[in-house]
Amino acid sequence: MNFISGKLLDRKHSYEYLDKLSELICETYQHKTLPVQRVISACDTLSELINKRDHLPLLLSLGMNESKAHSELMLVKLMLSREYLENRLKAEFGTDFETYLEYRPFGSERIVRQEWKPLGVLLHIAAGNVDALPVFSVIEGLLTGNINILKLPGTDDGLSIAILQKLTEIEPLISEYAYVFDYPSSDIESIKKMAAPADAVVVWGGDAAVAAVRNMAAPNTKIIEWGHKISFAYISGMDISDEDLEGIAFNICDTNQLLCNSCQGIFIDTNNYKDIMEFSERFLPILEGMSQRMPLKADPYLQAQKTLEMNTEELESSKMGKRVFKSETCSITAYKDDCALEPSHMYRNCWVKPLPREKLLSALLKYKNHLQTAALVCKENDRPSLEAMLFKTGVVRITSGRNMSTTFCGAPHDGEYPLRRYMKIVTYEY
Amino acid sequence: MNPKRRLFLMKNPYDLEKSRAFFLDAVKADLEYHRTNCADYAEILKEQNFDINTVKTENDLYRIPVIPTLYFKRNRLFSIPEEKLVIKAASSGTQGLRSIVGFDKSTLVCGILMMLRFLSYHRLISPLPTNYIVLGFQPSSHTQMGAIKTAYGITKFAPALHREYALKDNGSGYSLNIDGIKNALLKYAKSGFPVRFVGFPPYMYFLVKALKDNGISLKLNRHSKVLLGGGWKQFSAEEIDKEDFYQLIEETLGIKKANCLEFFSAVEHPLPYCKCENGHFHVPVYSRVIIRDVNTLKPVSNRQLGLLSFVSPLVSSMPLLSIVTDDLAVLHDGSQCGCKIKTPYFELHGRAGVQQIKTCTADAAELLGGTLNQAAPGLLVESNAAVHPGGERI
Repeated sequence: MNFISGKLLDRKHSYEYLDKLSELICETYQHKTLPVQRVISACDTLSELINKRDHLPLLLSLGMNESKAHSELMLVKLMLSREYLENRLKAEFGTDFETYLEYRPFGSERIVRQEWKPLGVLLHIAAGNVDALPVFSVIEGLLTGNINILKLPGTDDGLSIAILQKLTEIEPLISEYAYVFDYPSSDIESIKKMAAPADAVVVWGGDAAVAAVRNMAAPNTKIIEWGHKISFAYISGMDISDEDLEGIAFNICDTNQLLCNSCQGIFIDTNNYKDIMEFSERFLPILEGMSQRMPLKADPYLQAQKTLEMNTEELESSKMGKRVFKSETCSITAYKDDCALEPSHMYRNCWVKPLPREKLLSALLKYKNHLQTAALVCKENDRPSLEAMLFKTGVVRITSGRNMSTTFCGAPHDGEYPLRRYMKIVTYEY
Repeated sequence: MNPKRRLFLMKNPYDLEKSRAFFLDAVKADLEYHRTNCADYAEILKEQNFDINTVKTENDLYRIPVIPTLYFKRNRLFSIPEEKLVIKAASSGTQGLRSIVGFDKSTLVCGILMMLRFLSYHRLISPLPTNYIVLGFQPSSHTQMGAIKTAYGITKFAPALHREYALKDNGSGYSLNIDGIKNALLKYAKSGFPVRFVGFPPYMYFLVKALKDNGISLKLNRHSKVLLGGGWKQFSAEEIDKEDFYQLIEETLGIKKANCLEFFSAVEHPLPYCKCENGHFHVPVYSRVIIRDVNTLKPVSNRQLGLLSFVSPLVSSMPLLSIVTDDLAVLHDGSQCGCKIKTPYFELHGRAGVQQIKTCTADAAELLGGTLNQAAPGLLVESNAAVHPGGERI
């Protein structure tokens, strides 16, 4: 379904709007602005409406377990609240977001007035595998005063439109600032029409999606990429605590290794296969214990995939310098000398690979712009040098295992403030 | 005559009882052949402590170490020198990984014998000159995709007057040949010879839908046929009710449902499975189907969901003797079908991986797709990025 001007429309009717999208947008531009306080108020009202009785079943139906659904719901409620949004804006822009900055530049006689303004029109191309991501991308666009065109991912579950519908009921002005088109990605002509009035295309996705958008967008359209990222843990020293390992296990089980900041695998500061094997033997019961405490919803399709992957790994292991350690609900593939940074098989199947610190930089530099979070477990006196080396590889966050996928108000994403990317700085210079 | 040759020469491809006299022996001989001629396969058997003496009846076939089709996408496993392969094929690799398989002369001979028997049984071998619409790729020197070879092979079973391809080789790649198909269809309708449509179901659906939308209704020769195979892949969202589909075919082309046949096969298991009049894939004598538990890969009983796995001694160039696909399926007793074929039949229930509505396949094949593993920090997320491990259907 498509959602345009506050109305749900079928494909046929939506085409009529698509054809006059530029005119509609110009009309809004000409006569209106979207004050940030109206968006914050609408989000805050929505936040107050979110409750366990009505909304927990929705998350459970998406396959989350009860405690995960509960924590996610509370997080969304928090993230839409007035206090959170105001603090987030303050964190990203400082105090001058809704006002302006006036100053006399160094070496100049004139007075310059400086303000944040929306980029204008954003086309959001969201990842199809993350529930509610499309609507959060749009909300960020709204907070920054932009007109938002959203191309829904092919596998959308209706959550994004439901949330936007509620927001426009609360604040009717938003209906002119959010256009949702539910077209297949293969409908390139329509996507080009969506991109035509856009000042920027916001693309969430893997390298293929980013490359396709770069290829499609006109040279005068800015591309804001939230591209593919990969995260891992780095462990130095064998005398680490079970608590540290439980933190990593928690991240693996909590996120099922699906997020850009999920731990895909663990590098060990060693050259010795024996250390890798010993570590894997030690970590397996810790991971299994955590997995048992955070059960996955039974899904034969997923289980079948895991079984095929693991069976193949086992068949390959004797001749390829690796060994698979399996337990009831998870597995670890231990590698002898391969230190490639790869995605895991997900769903609680991680790899353990040797990566001595002297090779850290040379081995990871080739993943430039793909690295995100590293959980660092090491002796305190090693920490500063390992942190410095990890940041040189391109990592943008160093955390404990447990904090890999947790966020905080005003956190940068992939090394940048997201809202700032949707705005520009304008100056008045008379 | 050796048991393998006798198996593939059987006149009735569904005479299961008769095949029992040679099936097990053929499998055992095949296993020993691969053990002797493929060192990696011998290693796999050894690693799993496999003892051939534990395979006493067909009920023990599951004990033969089973290899996932994913393994063939990442590893080469041949029992003859690669230069002796007479034909090579690759899976269509929707997910980027392809299996490369190769067949030798002896496999090809058995395969041709099998196909002749099988297609005769399904009345697909015809002496009538026939025009073809191939709803897929034109064969070319720059591709080895198994689906292309299968589609082309099928055009050999009735003498071809002309072949028109939906995706035409332009020297370096493929381009969509809409006008060519349209003109060929009109020409074929006028000529009066039978027409055979061969290829992927979604393309057939798009074709008949386009005919219907344009008000075109043809009356093709009554011996015309629609031969479909390959599943719906990235078009799964478009999968429509089968009855509506067949009705649309009859309305636009004048081909009755009885002349529309759907096949199942895989590059790693190049045997034919054809849907019967009740829409069931019965297992021919050349193989045995084992549905395996999604955790343990042990066999499950009939009517239980599990991974679709095959045992067949057809291929001598590669140890494809016991393989498990990434299709989930259920096996039924043949007597439950009601058609004249009495062998067990399987029903496909989607592919291993994430929930069916949210597989990445859909977007991956599209221009703006790709396997996505991405989320905003701390947003409400539960993602479904996955790479399918198994065999592509051809």
